[in-house]
Amino acid sequence: MSAISPQHSFGENVFSQPLMTVSENVFACVEPDYRAYMPPNSIRRMTRILKVGLTAALQCMQDAGITVPGAIVTGTGKGSLSDTERFLKEIREYKETALNATPFIQSTYNAVNGLIALQQKCTQYNNTFVHRGFSFENALLDAMLLIAEGNKDILVGAFEEITAEHFYIKSRIGFWKKEKIASNELYQHPTPGTISGEGAAFFLLSDTPGEVQLSGLKMVYKPKESYLQKFLASHELNLEDIDLVISGRNGDSNFDHYYDGLPNELPFKHLCGEYDTSGAFALWLGAQILKAQQVPANWFPMLTVPAGPYKNILIYNHFFGEQHVYMLLTLNTGYLK
Amino acid sequence: MEDLKQKLKVQIIEALNLQDTKPEDIDDNAPLFGEGLGLDSIDSLELMVLLERHYHIKVEDPREGRKILQSVQSMAEFIQSKQPA
Repeated sequence: MSAISPQHSFGENVFSQPLMTVSENVFACVEPDYRAYMPPNSIRRMTRILKVGLTAALQCMQDAGITVPGAIVTGTGKGSLSDTERFLKEIREYKETALNATPFIQSTYNAVNGLIALQQKCTQYNNTFVHRGFSFENALLDAMLLIAEGNKDILVGAFEEITAEHFYIKSRIGFWKKEKIASNELYQHPTPGTISGEGAAFFLLSDTPGEVQLSGLKMVYKPKESYLQKFLASHELNLEDIDLVISGRNGDSNFDHYYDGLPNELPFKHLCGEYDTSGAFALWLGAQILKAQQVPANWFPMLTVPAGPYKNILIYNHFFGEQHVYMLLTLNTGYLK
Repeated sequence: MEDLKQKLKVQIIEALNLQDTKPEDIDDNAPLFGEGLGLDSIDSLELMVLLERHYHIKVEDPREGRKILQSVQSMAEFIQSKQPA
């Protein structure tokens, strides 16, 4: 697995990295040196999120020792926003004539998948899911179904970017906090709205046991009551069996009540901000914690971290109260490399 | 003509984001595609847009485009041939 995020999540020694914070209510990814991953002639054409997505995917495959995956499945809420914005602006500026091909091509949601397939010469199943707060989770479900059908080594991931324009648009409809806060104080500001973010995370799903098993996934749209007990019961677990709950709490007073009462809670949005596919970052974080049996020490100075050992980790996240997702990670018998 | 070629080189570098290339690195007669700058089919579309935006020339026939985009020299000659005397 691999993640490029606003934290130093890419590369080694994740557990000793400092906490990155922002004070403008918007996070941006810490970008790696792309030249190690793709030819210069390709880099020149790509916008930021394409480079971020492709690099995260390539590193994930490299770590798993896979060159050509059995399938490429991704989720994204908005795809390459900067390409979309450029294309739309040029339509207006040039009155629908003389439009550049590149931003149009790259504004399509499946551009990252196409780049991965081209670079790795992968002609297998290739699909991108675009379903707002369920985008990554639908990709994950598809990947799990592919594994269940006997396919091997499924590359699954998500990518999302925020732009100044999109941040402004969403601020007009109340997505972000009106007051500027320090990201490491996010949970001390229960006011309407949250902070914005972005990132990419990729995983290699295998049918052979690894250290981390993705044991459960459930998507629930606008639940009238908590689905948590039902989800755990479907896996023959109780709340007492959960060693850590990675929650999507984000300081938004409109929606944080969904997380109230969760035991052993460890919120993650102060690390990456809010975006459609932040669940992929949560899955990456959960899998890292499960594998290492420790929580990145510097990343949660404002919280009391639930003590290990960690056998069952529950991820519960929702996107502005609409798309609710439960994921269960279990140690030892697994799928995620 | 020399001024036009120099201007074209700058515009090509900018339009195609050729980060490590300087105008003096581009030979007037070197092929733009394959060898030389190593451009590809998407770049050819971008160069067509460049001609339309900067010189108000629309290339309708793709076969004609292949000849025009052969080199900086051929592009400059084409642009000059379309400009009013």
